[in-house]
Amino acid sequence: MKPQRNDNAASSSPAPLKTLGHSTPRIDGVERVTGRAKYTGDVQLPGMLYARVLRSPHPHARIKSIDVSKARALAGVKAVITHENGQVVWGAGSVAGGTQYNDEIKKITKQRRYTFNNPVRFVGDPVAAVAAVNRHVAEEALQLIAVDYEVLPFVLEPEDALKPDAPKIWPEGNLALNARNEAQPNTQRRGDVAQSLKTSPHVFEDRYSTSFVHNAQMEPRAAVAHWEGDKLTVYTPTGGIANCHHDIARDLGIPDEKVRVVCQYMGGNFGNKNQNQDADLIAAVLAKQAGAPVKLEMSRKEDFIGMHGRWPTVQYYTVGVDNDATLTSLKLRGYSGMGPYRKNSGAMGGLELYKCPNVESVISPVYTNRTVSGNFRGPEFPQGFFGAQSMIDDVAYKMKMDPVEFVIKNMSRMSRDEVPYTNYSLDECIRRGAAQFDWKARWRPQPGSDPGPKKRGAGFAMMIFRSGLGQSSAVMHLDSKGQYTLFVGVTDVGAGAKTTMNLIAAEALDVPLSKVTVVWGDTDRCPYSVGESGSRTTIMTGYAVVQAAADIKKQIAEKGLPAGDAVLIASATPSPRLEGKVRSSYGAHFVEVEVDTELGGVHITKYTTVHDSGRIMNPLTAVSQIQGAAIQGIGQALHENLVYDARSGQPLSAGYYFDRVPTHQDAPTIEVTFIESDDGYGPFGAKSMGEAGIILSPAAIANAIFNAIGRRMKDLPITRDKILGALA
Amino acid sequence: MDPSRREFLEGTGAALAVAAVAPALDAQTPPAQAPAISVDPSVPRTIIRVTVNGVVRRIEVEDRWTLVELLRDRLALTGTKIGCDRGECGACTVLMDGKPVYSCSNLAVWADGKSITTVEGLVTNGRLSPLQQAFIEHDAPQCGFCTSGQLMAATALLAANPRPTAPEVRAAMVGNLCRCSGYNHYVESVLAAAGSGARSTGAGGQP
Repeated sequence: MKPQRNDNAASSSPAPLKTLGHSTPRIDGVERVTGRAKYTGDVQLPGMLYARVLRSPHPHARIKSIDVSKARALAGVKAVITHENGQVVWGAGSVAGGTQYNDEIKKITKQRRYTFNNPVRFVGDPVAAVAAVNRHVAEEALQLIAVDYEVLPFVLEPEDALKPDAPKIWPEGNLALNARNEAQPNTQRRGDVAQSLKTSPHVFEDRYSTSFVHNAQMEPRAAVAHWEGDKLTVYTPTGGIANCHHDIARDLGIPDEKVRVVCQYMGGNFGNKNQNQDADLIAAVLAKQAGAPVKLEMSRKEDFIGMHGRWPTVQYYTVGVDNDATLTSLKLRGYSGMGPYRKNSGAMGGLELYKCPNVESVISPVYTNRTVSGNFRGPEFPQGFFGAQSMIDDVAYKMKMDPVEFVIKNMSRMSRDEVPYTNYSLDECIRRGAAQFDWKARWRPQPGSDPGPKKRGAGFAMMIFRSGLGQSSAVMHLDSKGQYTLFVGVTDVGAGAKTTMNLIAAEALDVPLSKVTVVWGDTDRCPYSVGESGSRTTIMTGYAVVQAAADIKKQIAEKGLPAGDAVLIASATPSPRLEGKVRSSYGAHFVEVEVDTELGGVHITKYTTVHDSGRIMNPLTAVSQIQGAAIQGIGQALHENLVYDARSGQPLSAGYYFDRVPTHQDAPTIEVTFIESDDGYGPFGAKSMGEAGIILSPAAIANAIFNAIGRRMKDLPITRDKILGALA
Repeated sequence: MDPSRREFLEGTGAALAVAAVAPALDAQTPPAQAPAISVDPSVPRTIIRVTVNGVVRRIEVEDRWTLVELLRDRLALTGTKIGCDRGECGACTVLMDGKPVYSCSNLAVWADGKSITTVEGLVTNGRLSPLQQAFIEHDAPQCGFCTSGQLMAATALLAANPRPTAPEVRAAMVGNLCRCSGYNHYVESVLAAAGSGARSTGAGGQP
């Protein structure tokens, strides 16, 4: 769909540019629609072997012995590795405090994860791996490995895991250690919540919870490792070739320059892939031992249980309100289920959205014997925003106010109530969204008042998402024919980074798009890029492109155009900083649902979004990002859950069918409006985009369901059975 | 026929089939890959006759191979993707005698006597199909991994129903998941290619 532009919006609307801001099809569109784009699984090397991984069938067990002799004897098997002969520390697999991208913390991390762990701590923990002449032989060999397990007690729920008699997943206990290896929850305090709750005339309490949602990118995990002498090349789906490259070198104990990582096309990212994975390391060790290239492929079920997804949460809120509907206190006690290893923070966003003098947030990242949690698109926000914005929505109704008015009265217009933003447009996002959605007409002042059995209602949610600055690099060449070559270490995970970098370069150089050739996705050819995480690539690498273009223009002015075989070369590694300000993107989603009160189904009848992501580089791909993110959020709100059987500890829904990701028929038309701004930072004012669209979607949908049926749905996903239960 | 001789001929055939369409679109197209795997002589095998993207082939396959293994690993047609390998996601959709099928859920031997069309077969005389063109213009592929499956499902739909409505598109393509969730742009692309874009408006995703 065509995005609506801010024709009559804020005075900060930036002046139009020549190349940026116009809908431009991707420069690699032909590759994408002809099957010519090469993904990791498409890589074929001469003499390549196929690898398969044997995984723990138990949620928690000690390996007493492993007998691989029969597997090794099978014709066609070239290498078998286990914790006894193929052990490597996987630094990114578990890191104190969930602090990725920090070698020092990885070094001191006590609760380490290895490529093969003993004890095994979740169903799917790798136990052994085989490389063989083809995948059928590799699979057959797995069946011949005999493992003697001592089965240990397990725990699945974070609150249960903190009880004194819970099975200990780590010697230090089940509260995950922070970046200083201390067992302390993440605590933030402002003012005096305890005192304020005593004196507030209205106090509300509630519990919200959210499920484990798998990234479920379409490309199942694969890795191809190839040693040429002491140089290792790894083809792998990573959102950050530079970080992945450094991680592999560190974990294998070889110099960075002896590793090359290649990832040009990647079948979906959605978080926690800006580092290496155990599959990369296992493939590298197998390839070394077998003396041949190895392609490791994961099945879809292995990807669901062996990789990572959004951490499930339990959230207890206490909210104090004055008689004039002003928030006085916000308190959150939260628990995040991290699985048995610490990949990321386990944080929950939400309370920072509100202006409130007394705030206390105590969040415990907890180990469980489920699969591992990690960053999934907007890591801490969709689940935290669902809890916080459902809670505040509920308070608004209880204070007899329109939730939009209550929020506008109580929202924070400074970062954490303290630091100013570089620009601020959240009020405008909400006002524009409410007008376009026709909030006054669609919102029911009396929830559940439609005569039914199909009842409609409307809900909304808002979001602020970080858009900080940071270091990244770009290199640019100009030849005597006037052709520029741009070297950037981006991966095209789906957001269109390659096209965006081409657009930014063309704009900065004032040349047509075709005058710039982009080289990307290969650490031997491209300089450092921050990686596709945190919605940072456009801001950081894009800014480096602008700087490299400025350098080459300066060189042209000084030396003239290159002649003959001469080439002008420019590079830039800017580290821009914000002084005393915070930079954010903003957004508001308004949703109308129709709930079938007899069958429990939720049908989205209208979905309106308004986003400020700064200046829009390419409206065509920007709309794709917001629409896709919102629909992913619908999956999290209504369907997706990696369900575990409480008695056996077995995952029951590890696949697309039972996990129930959204299909064509679940996807409503997502209306997209951008409020554009240029705050003077980033490339031409671009801000974060990719994660922005998902993080308010579950909250908006849940609030709409309340408005439709008058029952507050407090546990994601909001499946039919829960709706019927609430109405019973 | 001598097995090694047969493999040689089939490898050449695969290379020619790709080369026939590639140069007209993009001179930088990498050369077609050699067949990745050869048949394992120790397992049951069958010789099948199958037409792939218009080229008739007599080819020996292992009985355990799925159709997608034959296409990707033996014929180097890697445009068809494996997303789940168990009939859930549709990334491996190809046309079998014009009907969309999951190539992960069909054995290669079942293709005997059939005609298979893959994404590599959609380009004719160096030109993209109207659907391929519309997919680019409407930014339907994001990561692109589900795209060939979406294209094949849409190709079959338009062959059977040249002017579908948006709900008809969603119903026909419900078996093709897109985790980037670019569903809006996929539906718009199909309607645009069908010339029925004017009917794409209207809220609500369900038929």
